[in-house]
Amino acid sequence: MKGSGKLALCVAIAFVGGADVYAQQQKIGAPPEASNMKLVGTNDLQARSAYQPTIHHQGDRWIAYIGHHGGTDGIPDPINPMTGKPEPNGTSIVDVTDPAHPKYLRHIPGQEGKYESGGAQMVRVCDGKDLPKGDRNAVYMLRTFGSEAHEIWNVADPANPALITRIGGLKDTHKSWWECNTGIAFLVSGAPDWRTRRMTQVYDLSDPAHPVKIRDFGLPGQEPGSTGAVPTELHGPISTGPSGNRVYFGYGTNKGGFLQIVDREKLLNGPKEPIAENLRYPEISRMPLSALNGAHTTFPMPEMPIAEFAHDKDGKTRDIVMIVDEAILNECGEARQMVWFADVTTETRPMMISSYTVPEASGSFCERGGRFGSHSSNESMAPVYYKKVAFIAFFNAGVRALDIRDPYHPKEVGYFIPSITPATDKRCVTIEGKDRCKVAIQTNNVETDERGYIYAVDRANTGLHILELTDEARASAGLP
Amino acid sequence: MRAWSVIATATLVLGVLSGVAAYERATPPDDWNEIAWPFPRDGWPAGRAFHCSAASCGGDIEVYIRPKLGFCNCTSGVADDDEVDRVADVDLISERFVPISAGEAVRVADMPGRIRPYNLRLGDGTRAAIGIAVSHRCDLLVAAAQGRGDAIQVQRAALELLAKAEPARWMKSAMNTQ
Repeated sequence: MKGSGKLALCVAIAFVGGADVYAQQQKIGAPPEASNMKLVGTNDLQARSAYQPTIHHQGDRWIAYIGHHGGTDGIPDPINPMTGKPEPNGTSIVDVTDPAHPKYLRHIPGQEGKYESGGAQMVRVCDGKDLPKGDRNAVYMLRTFGSEAHEIWNVADPANPALITRIGGLKDTHKSWWECNTGIAFLVSGAPDWRTRRMTQVYDLSDPAHPVKIRDFGLPGQEPGSTGAVPTELHGPISTGPSGNRVYFGYGTNKGGFLQIVDREKLLNGPKEPIAENLRYPEISRMPLSALNGAHTTFPMPEMPIAEFAHDKDGKTRDIVMIVDEAILNECGEARQMVWFADVTTETRPMMISSYTVPEASGSFCERGGRFGSHSSNESMAPVYYKKVAFIAFFNAGVRALDIRDPYHPKEVGYFIPSITPATDKRCVTIEGKDRCKVAIQTNNVETDERGYIYAVDRANTGLHILELTDEARASAGLP
Repeated sequence: MRAWSVIATATLVLGVLSGVAAYERATPPDDWNEIAWPFPRDGWPAGRAFHCSAASCGGDIEVYIRPKLGFCNCTSGVADDDEVDRVADVDLISERFVPISAGEAVRVADMPGRIRPYNLRLGDGTRAAIGIAVSHRCDLLVAAAQGRGDAIQVQRAALELLAKAEPARWMKSAMNTQ
């Protein structure tokens, strides 16, 4: 081949390569990408950036409560079509009894502010009949109010919620946990005098109208008056309640993360003054992740039977914690954030045993725009999926279904990448001082209900996608 | 043949340009010598480190600078002194640091933030240190300085270094502000 021919070939290869990358860009009107999962229904959530969905079986109805981030630079306060007025992003309440036709019931505005500085990201729900001192006729929704407060609403009539109480005066909030059978809540807060943006405030919310603070909790070095290095901030805890007597705390976002295993009884009843010794008292162990990864979600799965170990004299069952990192930078501007499985059977010696990520090359995800990497998992412990199938929100790679029955070898069994819509917001990177923007789905959080439906919500304003498993993925969960 | 000569010429030009860029990057500001990043790998890529001798700066002083992309509140920026304590890399020098006083507002490479002085406890005694955190959009740029002089002297020397053209140009480039 002559020189000019080689040059032409190089140009052609470069062009074809570029066209391939371009072909991976999502287009409005293009179908979703899916394997062993299918779309059942959608709702646009008034084009508000979404964080936590919580699905609650309420009488004979199924209601989805969905927390939102603050608005965007372009639209700080989107119009609520039900009122015709601009409202700061807050909480969407959607009737998903018929998942094929979800019905938007109400938007409760949140704190003014854009992105993570506003909105009402987090939401948990408990029935009054389950809480020790709750009103039996009430259904209580615990939500964050931007960065400054936690609120409890009575959502017994989900179309007409009523504010019950507010715990305010905070400098940040995030991914809290609420035990419905005890009322104990682990509220991710920013107490003003603590040296960290996010720590834990433990409350007794058994009577939601009268919150009782139990204590502040964090890592030694974060407490008021301490000096020196400040440990990584909290992202969120998950408690196994009085029966499990453990709280699993995830610290970090995309950096310097670790899992902390805490004795719940010692946390609630131990010495409470926030000094280093008292903060260390309830800690059983702490497992650091690589400095390149954080811990957004720490999802416990105690006493998992491991088929491979079935004939072993010891260790047939293992206590597993699934740890999900959060990607925060667009277009792979950081180390890969992914999913890790830790064997915590010997609690003082937890050990990472496996990991999972979406293969980047399977969709040229670093080129698509927006974030690529994990963010969170479902947190429902309903039998339909618990310890069998886990669902991971993976930003521009959509929702990923993992067969986790052998957590030493997790296996992807399905995925669903929703289509973008005209509401899907752009995501930009700065190159030589100028923004270069792309539009891509940004599946941020995922939750399941007891019926087996999967609820994925989008950070880039695309709304709610209700999904179900199909084909062999259903077999992983033992579904017909 | 003509195509190959074009490619060769382009390669030569690119080589010269990258050589110039490398020279610019390696050229230390006056009185300061660039040294290897002295800390082990952590969550962020290594930054740049500089040393100024006692003869030039009145006491051995080292300054460490690096961006931490995506690590800042996009709205509020560097909000308070606690944030400087958390992010400014002073803990890389020693985890045992104690603030000497409240911080103050500062601008570095046209970015706003805060600066705070500390006493460091090291194996061979105490040392003065400075922590600096400034932000652009959702990104942080942090600097830490240490020296055997007093904190005022270390702070003055560090800010003089950061105000020089070459480090400022690098910081802006690393933060995508230009």
